[in-house]
Amino acid sequence: MSLISTILRRLVLLVFVVAGVAIITFTISHLIPGDPAQLIAGDKASAQTLAHVRQELGLDKPVTQQFVIYVKQLLSGDLGQSLRTRRPVAGDIALFLPATLELGIAALVMAIMIGVPLGVLSAIYKDGPVDQAARVVSVAGISMPVFWFGLALILLFYVKIPILPGSGRITLGIAAPPRITGFFLVDSLVAGDLKAFWSSLYHLVLPAFVLAFANLGIITRQIRASMLDVLQEDYVRTARANGLSRSAVILRHALPNALIPSVTLLGLAFGDLLYGAVLTETIFAWPGMGSYVVSSIQTLDFPAVMGFTIVASLGYVLINLAVDLTYMVLDPQIRELG
Amino acid sequence: MLLRRLPTFAAFAALTALTFAGPSWATDKDVLVIDKAEDPPTADPGVEVSNNGYTLIFPAYERLVKYDGAKTEVIPELAESWTTAPDNLSWTFKLASGHMFDDGSPVDAAAVKYSFDRVKKLAAGPGDMFPTVKDVVIVDPRTVKFELSAPFAPFLSALATSAGSIINPKAQEHAVNGDDAKAWLAEHTAGSGAFKISAWERNQQITLDPNPHYAGKKPAFKQVIFKIVREMSSRRLQLENGDADLIDQVPVDQAEAMKSSAGVVIESNPSLYVIYLYLNNKKAPFDNPKVRQAISYAADYKGLVDGVMQGQAEQMRGAVPDGMWGHDPQGMQYSYDLEKAKQLLADAGVSNLHISFTYSQADSAWEPVGLALQASLAEIGVTMDMKNVADTTKRELVAKGDYDIATGAWTPDFADPFMFMNIWFDPTKMGAPGNRAFYENPKVTDLITQALATVDQKKREQLYIDAQKITNEDAPYVLLFQKNDIFAMRSSVKGYVYNPMLIQVYNIADMSKSE
Repeated sequence: MSLISTILRRLVLLVFVVAGVAIITFTISHLIPGDPAQLIAGDKASAQTLAHVRQELGLDKPVTQQFVIYVKQLLSGDLGQSLRTRRPVAGDIALFLPATLELGIAALVMAIMIGVPLGVLSAIYKDGPVDQAARVVSVAGISMPVFWFGLALILLFYVKIPILPGSGRITLGIAAPPRITGFFLVDSLVAGDLKAFWSSLYHLVLPAFVLAFANLGIITRQIRASMLDVLQEDYVRTARANGLSRSAVILRHALPNALIPSVTLLGLAFGDLLYGAVLTETIFAWPGMGSYVVSSIQTLDFPAVMGFTIVASLGYVLINLAVDLTYMVLDPQIRELG
Repeated sequence: MLLRRLPTFAAFAALTALTFAGPSWATDKDVLVIDKAEDPPTADPGVEVSNNGYTLIFPAYERLVKYDGAKTEVIPELAESWTTAPDNLSWTFKLASGHMFDDGSPVDAAAVKYSFDRVKKLAAGPGDMFPTVKDVVIVDPRTVKFELSAPFAPFLSALATSAGSIINPKAQEHAVNGDDAKAWLAEHTAGSGAFKISAWERNQQITLDPNPHYAGKKPAFKQVIFKIVREMSSRRLQLENGDADLIDQVPVDQAEAMKSSAGVVIESNPSLYVIYLYLNNKKAPFDNPKVRQAISYAADYKGLVDGVMQGQAEQMRGAVPDGMWGHDPQGMQYSYDLEKAKQLLADAGVSNLHISFTYSQADSAWEPVGLALQASLAEIGVTMDMKNVADTTKRELVAKGDYDIATGAWTPDFADPFMFMNIWFDPTKMGAPGNRAFYENPKVTDLITQALATVDQKKREQLYIDAQKITNEDAPYVLLFQKNDIFAMRSSVKGYVYNPMLIQVYNIADMSKSE
């Protein structure tokens, strides 16, 4: 099956996934007892005020009608208005998503940069000290609660040895770069503002590491396992027999092949990172989607919660598609089998 | 290769670290940094009903009258004087001169009219502060008259709330699709207060700059920054490290732990925030006052104040809390007396009672309160199930009367016993509007209705105290305790004045830093 047809098939599937997610989230959020109007108008609101707010938000209409209105809006690309902040949900997501993505990508890069070499070394020196150390790191990463680990690192690097900032995206007093992508690192470079760039990079270190650490173990173990498999293969033995140096065999022949099964994992890991970001963002006061969603859920801000869920499901499907496509490019066999 | 470069990289990292770990911004004498737990929803006086939003609204807007320092009585702010018609149906205010909005235009009668017309038209929560305002009339540029459809005794006090903020009519230029500038005023301010919002990065920080045209004394701070830090531990570390000057929403256990931190001052003041329980008066057996009294005797008030609240609270004595006029210092208090409770249940002919306790995690005191009550009730043969639900769900269940016992918390919006007496006990306000115990006693109804139509405060006070004598006896609510308001700040912060009406509102125009 060709690349094009795979993409087309997946895009059709995407429509169904998003529709399904929309129906499920809408149903759940309207089944939960709770009156958003009460939250907006306050505890002491009179009956008239409540009725007015409900009418203004369209909450007085039957649920089915509300759903039809929502879908109509959705089809025109409108995610509705947040009940809490009175701002367009799409605008809020556009505002907070880049911060989460920047954190997630930084964490992924960190996890790969540490995890891949660690996995390779573990495989080469199987059962040696490096391998044992890597095993400890993996187990710690998987089992350590993000919340606890984050606070411990803040305590160490912000309080005891104060070399890293404990919260936020940029130092107070340094202006955020003009918004282009919403990624502070990219925007500050585009603006040529090195001070903002360093400050943002600096603020990324701890939260990205906390986030990366949880996935580090999985990546290390996966690379180690596939590397061990590959090292058994005939072509590796042949290459070595042909007199190629050990490092050349590993880097040029074994590693690329060992990386293929890891691509799927990286895609999944990225999804996990975005999910783990909710906690990390809370601890590090990182103004991303995590804190936005938590506040929205607490205030029964249906449009915001739904908007987020839909965007997140879209993201998930697209990441999976990207993973599969990378796979097909890396391994022509899969392309043929389809 | 890579390993050989590592030391270079480490040195570089350390160097960058040193560059950025320099003196923290918060120690600047003319900048105040306040860490807040949540991003304020909006800064619009016409829609905002949360103290979190008031944090921004109070310093940015002036009102006709304001609370006098730490007291709950009002004094002139924009209005220099006022008169009331003998029938209490109209109030005329004379505006002081010299007050200007942040764009330099003067605060006049038209602005007052615009602000109140807007609040009324939006008909959101703040509109309920002025239930009987019929019309606002411009008499001349410096005189404005409010016409009421019925006398409303707490009127003056209500003018001092966030809802009474005077907005620059020019804000209307930002209106889109007939929203009365709601979208714009949600994140911008247009007032005559000491500060104005200069930047709002959602979920991150809000920056306030001084209003150059402010009529009062020039503030000590050239900037006030509110940082949004959700996690309590992070807020605490920031304060202790000096990156924040003040943090709000400090739980009692953390306050206790921070007492030993160097350079940190814990501000703990008796507030008007009360924690109590709703008893469902329209449902058997709680329709019997004896059963309600029995439950009131089963709460271990002292144990809750000392244990759960670590002493940062005070048992209530009637519905009107201590610190507000209308409070009855001789009011009857229930005590922890299981024998009496048992006897009352027997008198009521109730046995094998099985009830539920509906609560949420919105207030950390609720769960321990429920568990303590559950244990006490078990001793007198009452089984109580703990029903933990989401806070929004709890509100809905309580509003519908779908509960036995449920948790409640209340703060007054303005300094008048109206906020407790007329809202909790008025049978026309059953359910969501406030009388969530579904209580009705014609004698009480009569007293509180009279009190609302009377202007003489002495007479009103007596009426409210008389009503409380009856409600204490009827026990529609279990009146637990009023909490202290706790926050923490650096010892360098000077000039903070606590007013129980202004929770999460900091008088930043009068505050300063000594370092």
